[in-house]
Amino acid sequence: MKKKPSIFTYLFLICGCVLIIFPMYLAVITAFKPTEELTKSIFAFPSSFYLGNFMEVIEKSGFLNSVINTVFVTVVSCVGVILVVPLVSYAIARNMDKKRYYKYLYYFLLIGIFVPFQVKMMPLVQVMSNFNMLNVPGIAVVYIASAVCEGVFLYVAFIHGVPGELEESAYMDGAGTLFTYWKIIFPLLKPMTATVLIMDGLWFWNDFFLPLLALNKTPDNYTLTLFIYNFKSQTTVNYSLIFAGLLLAMLPIMVLYVFLQKQIMGGLVNGAVKG
Amino acid sequence: MEKKKKKKITEKSLSMFLFTVPATVLYCVFFIYPIIIGIMYSFTDWNGLSKDYKFIGLSNYITAFTNSRFQNAVKFNIRFTLMAVILIVGLSLILALIFNNSKLRCMSLFRGIYFFPAVLGMLVVGLIFNEIFYRVVPVIGKGLNIPAISSNILASKSTAIYGVLIVHVWLAVAMATVMLLAGLQSAPEDLYEAAVLDGANRWQKFRYITMPFLLPVLSVVLILQIKSGLTVYDIIVALTNGGPGGATESLAVLIYNHGFKEVKFSYAIAEAMILTIVICAISFIQTSISNKKKVY
Repeated sequence: MKKKPSIFTYLFLICGCVLIIFPMYLAVITAFKPTEELTKSIFAFPSSFYLGNFMEVIEKSGFLNSVINTVFVTVVSCVGVILVVPLVSYAIARNMDKKRYYKYLYYFLLIGIFVPFQVKMMPLVQVMSNFNMLNVPGIAVVYIASAVCEGVFLYVAFIHGVPGELEESAYMDGAGTLFTYWKIIFPLLKPMTATVLIMDGLWFWNDFFLPLLALNKTPDNYTLTLFIYNFKSQTTVNYSLIFAGLLLAMLPIMVLYVFLQKQIMGGLVNGAVKG
Repeated sequence: MEKKKKKKITEKSLSMFLFTVPATVLYCVFFIYPIIIGIMYSFTDWNGLSKDYKFIGLSNYITAFTNSRFQNAVKFNIRFTLMAVILIVGLSLILALIFNNSKLRCMSLFRGIYFFPAVLGMLVVGLIFNEIFYRVVPVIGKGLNIPAISSNILASKSTAIYGVLIVHVWLAVAMATVMLLAGLQSAPEDLYEAAVLDGANRWQKFRYITMPFLLPVLSVVLILQIKSGLTVYDIIVALTNGGPGGATESLAVLIYNHGFKEVKFSYAIAEAMILTIVICAISFIQTSISNKKKVY
């Protein structure tokens, strides 16, 4: 039914591909060059795959620590979101038509979607410091709290589409509410859980602002983005080292993207279009 | 029997209530409470460090509107957001229409490349481009004899905004394309087939089938892009840090600088409140417009 794309379409697409790949290509070839080779030509392929730059970044004090911190923050926050958000969304979705409390709670939880981070960042740092939370577990808790609004919005819409008969029969059989939720409802929410995990996981992994505010004073608490940011401002001369560090920071996401591209993009679209 | 039933309902409603507690408490303590004390502080002269402070009414807000740095940041954000939205929506619309054609060869390869920036962190990409603008682009400019890019464009007051813009667009087009593509693909194929049977031409098909499915997503994309343009932060920190000479100091960067570097705590919050009001207004206008469309 549709026309075949013309040669111009392909030319346009290829130009775009070059624009997208070129910076990455430069980063990769530069990271593999030893310092002596840098002065020759920026665009030339490295004469050999020199791994010294990567080794130097990895051996730098604080790098591995920052990787551990980032993994910890991402995993703990994601688990927290998945424990807390579908639970409250289930209670809201099933009761908001009958009880006012749940209806108002729903709108109350949605307020946050409209509020940009800037307005709460300064008082938030104060609150965190009062609770002694300017550390890695502390920002994980803040991430969970920050993910509530969008998560509730997405989950409530999804749960409205899940028929209530299954759980009703479980309640008839005398099953407890938590048991019913965990055994019957939660497994049915898998598609939305995947969406939320992908969205929030990428956010927590890539985030720079909150770590900058909360963790920048103590290098032991650095996340990967914070480590790279500080590493960059200390290393000005040897930029093959900088590129090696930046590539290492992107590596886990690149690998995930190569293997799970469909799922990741599907999840992001799902979250963004409905959100 | 009667009593038992009643008891069961209580267990359920109690559990349901308890389900809402963890999220609500977290949200109140780390989301709503900071916003409320922030609003309070914005009416005081507190600098973030001193022990006492006094209420000064709307003074911070008035100062913000008359402050030339704030005005410059607003101008920067408006210019930046306008250019970014036009470029991002235009490019992603073209790409989404191209990708919606199933006859395209190497589709998965193209998609794999085009969607890749969507998963990358803004800071890391910003730092990569910072090096590229500094070391690589001038070399290309000299080689091709184009004076405009023969020196680092981030170092010049007049061109730095375009450097930031390029990176912002580079990152944002991917996600916008994916969303628009999803909107296009929600239009069922048999509608097009029926239209062809009825003798509709290409424009009519686009106007009456594609557009109605595309518009809701397009408005979401638009609002997200306006928001991200108005709150742009990470890539500016990575590229120029607001420089040179404040030429790329966006509102978010200004608020950060005032709040954390220049101890003007309450004043910075007032600036952030103004930003919030603008964003809320835009979101509100957008939702009311798209709600009207739905009724129609």
